[in-house]
Amino acid sequence: MAVGVAVPVVYLVLRALEADPATLADLVWRGQTLRLLGNTVLLTAGVLALTTAISLPMAWLMARTDLPGRRLFSLLGVLPLAVPGYVMAYALMGATGRSGMLATLAGIELPRLSGYAGALLALSFSTFPYLFLNLRAALRGLDPALEEQAQALGMSRGKVFWRVVLPQLRPAFLAGGLLIVLHVLGDFGVVSLMRYDTFSYALYVQYTTSFDRIYAAWLALMLLALTAAVLFAEARLLRGLLYHRAGSGGAARPARRLRLGNIGRWVACLPPTLVAGVAVGLPLAATGFWWLEGSYLAAATVGAGDVLTALADSAAAAAPAAGLAALLAVPVAYLSVRRPSPLTRAAERTAYFGYATPPLAMALALIFFTLRAVPGLYQTLALLVGAYALRFLAEAIGPVRAALYQAPPRLEEAARALGRGPVEAFFATVFPLLRRGLVVSVAFVFLSAMKELPLALLLSPTGFRPLAVSAWGYAEEALFAQAAPFALVIIAFSAAFVGLLLWQEGERKGR
Amino acid sequence: MRSFRFPFARVSPLLALIPLVAAALLLSACGEGGGDAAGGADEALTVYSGRSQPLVDGLVERFEEQTDFDVEVRYGTDAQLLSVMQEEGQQSPADLYWANTTGALAQARQANLLAQMPDSLTQQAAAFQPQSGRWSPVTTRFRTLAYNSEAVDTTALPPSVLELPELSQFEGRIGWTPTYSSFQDFVTAMRATHGADSTRTWLNQMQELNPKSYSSNTPMIQALADGEIDLALTNHYYVLRLKHGGGEGEYEGEEEGEEEDEASEEEEAEEATRPGAPVEMYRFADGDVGNLALVTGASVMRQSDQPQQAQQFLQFLLSPEAQEFAAQQVNEYPVVEDAPVPEYMMPVDRALSMSPQLQFDQLQNLDATLELMREAGLM
Repeated sequence: MAVGVAVPVVYLVLRALEADPATLADLVWRGQTLRLLGNTVLLTAGVLALTTAISLPMAWLMARTDLPGRRLFSLLGVLPLAVPGYVMAYALMGATGRSGMLATLAGIELPRLSGYAGALLALSFSTFPYLFLNLRAALRGLDPALEEQAQALGMSRGKVFWRVVLPQLRPAFLAGGLLIVLHVLGDFGVVSLMRYDTFSYALYVQYTTSFDRIYAAWLALMLLALTAAVLFAEARLLRGLLYHRAGSGGAARPARRLRLGNIGRWVACLPPTLVAGVAVGLPLAATGFWWLEGSYLAAATVGAGDVLTALADSAAAAAPAAGLAALLAVPVAYLSVRRPSPLTRAAERTAYFGYATPPLAMALALIFFTLRAVPGLYQTLALLVGAYALRFLAEAIGPVRAALYQAPPRLEEAARALGRGPVEAFFATVFPLLRRGLVVSVAFVFLSAMKELPLALLLSPTGFRPLAVSAWGYAEEALFAQAAPFALVIIAFSAAFVGLLLWQEGERKGR
Repeated sequence: MRSFRFPFARVSPLLALIPLVAAALLLSACGEGGGDAAGGADEALTVYSGRSQPLVDGLVERFEEQTDFDVEVRYGTDAQLLSVMQEEGQQSPADLYWANTTGALAQARQANLLAQMPDSLTQQAAAFQPQSGRWSPVTTRFRTLAYNSEAVDTTALPPSVLELPELSQFEGRIGWTPTYSSFQDFVTAMRATHGADSTRTWLNQMQELNPKSYSSNTPMIQALADGEIDLALTNHYYVLRLKHGGGEGEYEGEEEGEEEDEASEEEEAEEATRPGAPVEMYRFADGDVGNLALVTGASVMRQSDQPQQAQQFLQFLLSPEAQEFAAQQVNEYPVVEDAPVPEYMMPVDRALSMSPQLQFDQLQNLDATLELMREAGLM
């Protein structure tokens, strides 16, 4: 498995080093590269700032005030995860512009969103839940005693928030922020639809328009380096942060909720309503609108058959990938829980590396690798399935690990003592307890792969056109009506993913 | 005492699928690998197409019906496919390469990927034939400047595309498609007619006007119709397809029995027709590179193990039936004589007389063009 990730990257490096140094200097060390770096950083910083501006007040309202409808709003704060970035971008594009939804239905004519503003909005509204969930959980978990003491010592409410609460939120901010940054660095769908030049988009453009692939290889390497730098920085920032309570502390009582007052309650409802409206309402409205538009324009509709074919293509890749990922997850999780060693930790790390690697860089590495080393695999479904399994392995490991912690080693030891071999003992005792975790793993990977875009775009075999590729392809050609049915099906699958996530959370709490 | 049961017996059906799926996966991997290695005569004809699916599928279906051949098409951009063929080398399954641009074909010829074809085949599109005889033109199109007729007064437009950068009043209002292959062919032609230095200057000056880059032409023309931009450098048929939708007229009725497939193709082409859209084409002075004629072309691959069938397919592409399809569906011009075009299309002779006279084989060395464009920060 580690080989599956590492070897293609080695090929990528080899391929990148093939260039003769003079060309390379011209190609790589030029203004354009700097501009791409600037754009990528600018977008990442912007998304981080905007998601913070959305998430922090919302998390505080949910965790610390008596806002009416808190539970509903909390749910609405998670649901945007059901709208993949490229669908959000499609919705924003389809809603604006002279022939867009807002102009047609409400007469509001906004210029069609594109470029930095478009990419910023689409990415922020599709990723802010990562931060929101982390901040809300952290705010709920804080020991109110600290804040009360600060207040008793004469600090104002505002000062308490800045000096006592915010610093304690740092780990949560880093965790959520890291997910968002990785997401933005790896994103391809949004920046390509919004035509904003980042490393990912430039990589794709070079791959499709230039005969020479060396520049694409270098862009992939630069993107990988940037990702590695982010992971490294996050690890450094997190080091030495200790915010636990002194002593065992017992159960922390929840902080007293701030009473918003009669008018305040309703005013405070506005921002979360607006956010939910843009993040969930708008994509649903825009896809619905264009879907209906499509059925009026008789000529422009995509047949149900086309959608079913795309669905079948998506499933043909996602189902085996889910099975394969679950299959790989069992030994990785088992070894890391029962026989922790540097080696097993490394194996688990690799899984997370697959998750963090920008998918376009991964796809390019796999293309170089297969063309050179195993041409028989190039452009096969098997390669796409393998890529998915590696990419989403981390999602499969989580539930299996959780289930393993529930399986006491004594059961297995008893089976061994009764004369079963190690494999037999595993299947007789541990495996039955893993079943539920495995089902959840399979479902997670399946649903993630159903909506995956960049790997599908580059690695799909001839004639293979999954849902995400169809939706993106039509949206890229500004054929919003044709993209609508595919986008709707994708939203449905993603919603199932989020439902599963919530259900699992509920289960964990229920225990 | 309870007997030991193998745990899979109690496992949910979903999990029981895993080993099955894994097995199927292995089989499919082996199967496909094996398929590539085999090279029998019964193998399907493999076409690598730089043209998009809606423009190709209908033709392939007809050819399959007429000949009983199996045709497999692999779609991609010209560059992507050419790059793949170079990597695949002798083992490439490609029998025929149908490219969107002359630049890609010239590149393929230089890389010695193309087979020599008999005169009988290459003489059919004699007027457009490249000197090398290694590939045959299939359709013709023209570069043009599309403008929004509500926003632009044509008297303000220059006689040459080279003077376009002087229109400072259109700062931020011009659209172009730097990554699209026809645009790159156009830059190559500018290099061939005016030299690399003038081309570099032109690109840099255009950049100063802050043009909007689109990844493809359809959304750009939509944006033009919506008034988001005022001018767009594009191919002629994108304007015609916006206003006339392609596929209109008498064509449908003539081919009885094959209409169903055809109809679905037309839908693809008709998608976003807006007859009243304020979009028109501006023609530069005769002979200006802004009116450049370009061809799509196809060639039999040198390593093909069924060159006869590949030639037969190319012959079909040049047949009146297929040529008319291109004119009616895509609004491109035929390359053989006497294939009718819809009334709203300018006669091909007139259009050709406006283009600079160029040998299509001159539009090679795309690398130099890409280098220029990279220098200018376009990609």
